[in-house]
Amino acid sequence: MYGLAMVKGLMVTLKNLTRKPFTIQYPEERAKQHPRFRGEEFVWYEERCTGCASCAKYCPLGIIKIETSPSGSMIPQGEKYRLEVFDIELQRCMFCGLCVEACPYDALFMGSGFEQGQYSRKNMVITIDQLRNAEKHPSTWFRPQLEGYEGGTDSFRRTPTIAQGESRFSYDPRGGPPLGWREVGRESWRWHQREKAGMRLEQGEAVPDTGRDELPQSARDSDAAAD
Amino acid sequence: MSCQLASDSILYANGIYRLVYEIVGVVLPCWVAYAIAGLVFAFILVNAVLLGAAVITWGERRVLGRFQNRVGPNRWGPFGLFQPVADLVKLLTKEDLRPEGSDRVVFSLVPVLMVAPLILMTAVVPFAKNTALASLNVGVLFILAVSSITSVAIFMAGWSSNNRYAMFGAARAVAVLISYEIPVVLSLLGVVMVAASMSLGTIVAAQALPFFLVQPLAFFVFMAGMSAELNRSPFDVAEAESEIIAGYHTEYSGVRFALIQAAEFGGVGVVAAIAATLFLGGWSGPWSEYLGWLWFLIKTGIIVFLFIWFRATYPRLRIDQIMAFSWKFLLPLAMVNLVVVTLEVFLLRGDEGVLTHTDLAIMAAINLAVTAISIAVFGNLIKDRVTFRTRQPQQVVVPGVSTIEVS
Amino acid sequence: MPVVQDLAFWVLSVVAIAAALGVVLVKDLFRSALLLAVVFISVAGFFVLLSAEFLAVVQVLIYVGAISVLFIFGIMLTRNVREGNVPNRLQIPAVMCASLLLVGMIAAAINTDWRPIPEAAAQMVDAAQTQSVAGPPAGASSSGYAEQDTGLAELLIADFVLPFEAVSLLLLAALIGGLALARSRGS
Repeated sequence: MYGLAMVKGLMVTLKNLTRKPFTIQYPEERAKQHPRFRGEEFVWYEERCTGCASCAKYCPLGIIKIETSPSGSMIPQGEKYRLEVFDIELQRCMFCGLCVEACPYDALFMGSGFEQGQYSRKNMVITIDQLRNAEKHPSTWFRPQLEGYEGGTDSFRRTPTIAQGESRFSYDPRGGPPLGWREVGRESWRWHQREKAGMRLEQGEAVPDTGRDELPQSARDSDAAAD
Repeated sequence: MSCQLASDSILYANGIYRLVYEIVGVVLPCWVAYAIAGLVFAFILVNAVLLGAAVITWGERRVLGRFQNRVGPNRWGPFGLFQPVADLVKLLTKEDLRPEGSDRVVFSLVPVLMVAPLILMTAVVPFAKNTALASLNVGVLFILAVSSITSVAIFMAGWSSNNRYAMFGAARAVAVLISYEIPVVLSLLGVVMVAASMSLGTIVAAQALPFFLVQPLAFFVFMAGMSAELNRSPFDVAEAESEIIAGYHTEYSGVRFALIQAAEFGGVGVVAAIAATLFLGGWSGPWSEYLGWLWFLIKTGIIVFLFIWFRATYPRLRIDQIMAFSWKFLLPLAMVNLVVVTLEVFLLRGDEGVLTHTDLAIMAAINLAVTAISIAVFGNLIKDRVTFRTRQPQQVVVPGVSTIEVS
Repeated sequence: MPVVQDLAFWVLSVVAIAAALGVVLVKDLFRSALLLAVVFISVAGFFVLLSAEFLAVVQVLIYVGAISVLFIFGIMLTRNVREGNVPNRLQIPAVMCASLLLVGMIAAAINTDWRPIPEAAAQMVDAAQTQSVAGPPAGASSSGYAEQDTGLAELLIADFVLPFEAVSLLLLAALIGGLALARSRGS
């Protein structure tokens, strides 16, 4: 360090001076996030939610509060509840994502935001209206069907990009358009089409025909009886 | 014009001073005009140093950021230009703390005593042609003398804090300061010898070829020594954030801390001005009659950039490494420089005793080779001695078991 | 400008005497060391008033920069610093001796015939005090500098080389002594 190596060190630093800085200017730009980032927001699709409160039961901290009442809708599919209260206490949430794992209907997703800081503790609880009105940019955590998402309303085109070895960051949770309830479910994903859980259909809608004869006769009979 | 300055007074050459003196001397008695003219120029100097300190803090944070692949502060004002103002307001609104059991007078006097020598140092620096407040015959020695008052001030800071860690930090800082004064003085002796005068104005006039080319070794020793005297990286063991709390300014907060920081960064500016005068040719350049101040500012800026470059490049040295660097590396280099320059001046100086331009060029060529060789040689010589010598392994004999080496 | 010089002289005198009294009378040892530094700076001011700029600057450099630091280190390393100046029985005799010395020095200073230096030697004395480097500067015109051919440096090396070498031997001895004292045992 004491000989002519001092000059070499100076040259290294000088070269650094001419490079572009790495800084991301925060309020104007934000860092690109991974699609599986478990953010501070929650994305809830009311059309998919049945009020089963599995998320509330799975939560290790018990911060989800759900109050339901009978709604009388979706009777052929088993009558979904009407939710009156759906509170998530952000101040104690540890964003483990177990509630997202628990949801059988792909109705609850982790969000991608990280700017949920509030000035008082009262505002740190997400209420049902906030969940309804929020822009829906779900994270792909525990929802691999979103990772091959290429956008567009044709949500039945799914390619699991992980299998193809492509970059798994092709889905940008914050950058892309908000996803509707039809585009985020497992029923659109080819692997899951053998499963019956998570298939959420509109009243009167038939099971989509994928060309594979997977539904057992009993399911097809009950659907035909509902029409 | 009732008051005229004597033409052999050291203040005569200073145009601004003479102007103010003669204008004020029309209405007021001469000695009052003398004092007022001095005060006006001193006011300009004090403002220059303190505002320069603010500008240098801004510049350092931005340039250091670019060296480190990041952007410096850029939120307050365009390009972060109001960041020093924000820092100052923050420091001014802090509580005025004084540790219990500390010496009240001494504690409050220390920040003043740290800033005052720096401003005194600017009194001899020529900013443009014939614009130094006091063109002393012993200017270089004046600068060295005034900078040695800082060691007493640092000790006062450490002692009056009533804090043994502050005392440790102060003792270390004073040790570093007095160790590095010797190589700096020796390197300046080479400059004085070539210019044959200690007056800064004469040294600027003597730089037909800038002295950093004629004596690169002296320039290197001066820059390294002054980095240490200013407690800047890589020698800032006395006050770095990860060191003994914060060294001698642990207990200072608010305005006092602001003044100490102003002293540190103002010191960078003042030392850069002095280095620009002694080694880079001061105010000389094309059209230096009118643009001398511009050349001076540019050269000072180059030296400040050099200080920031050093800070960005080198890792912090330990206190024992700092001592080794001074006594075993810089001091031999300064002596080599002194001997070589003495020989050259003796052999090259003609009958009328003037060193011509070609003489300076010959000296530059020889000294450049001497610099490279001596830095390489002395660097290799102390390379291994700067690490801690670990204890030699001891033979531990345990009866019944074969010998174990413990180190 | 006689008024300014008188004013400076009186201010410096008051400061120097007050600080010197403070050195002796103040209880806190650290403060008395700092007041000693103030005395040194005042003495440097006196040198400036007497047109000995070189001596003034050297006074600040050596006394304030080095010897004051030495005093402060010494104070720091002794025990019982907080007690400061302990009063003892020698105070009255000390005051009497100091007053006698003061009276003697004032009498000597008043009764000496301070003749102004003759013109021929004045230039040499002035050069010795203010010009410490001999020879004309490089590249500058040599008018005004060719006449002076002595400076303090030439005096030291040519006429007074024996004291110069003796001082350097003393310095060498002090350095070696310092190294010998500060060595760690057993290495």
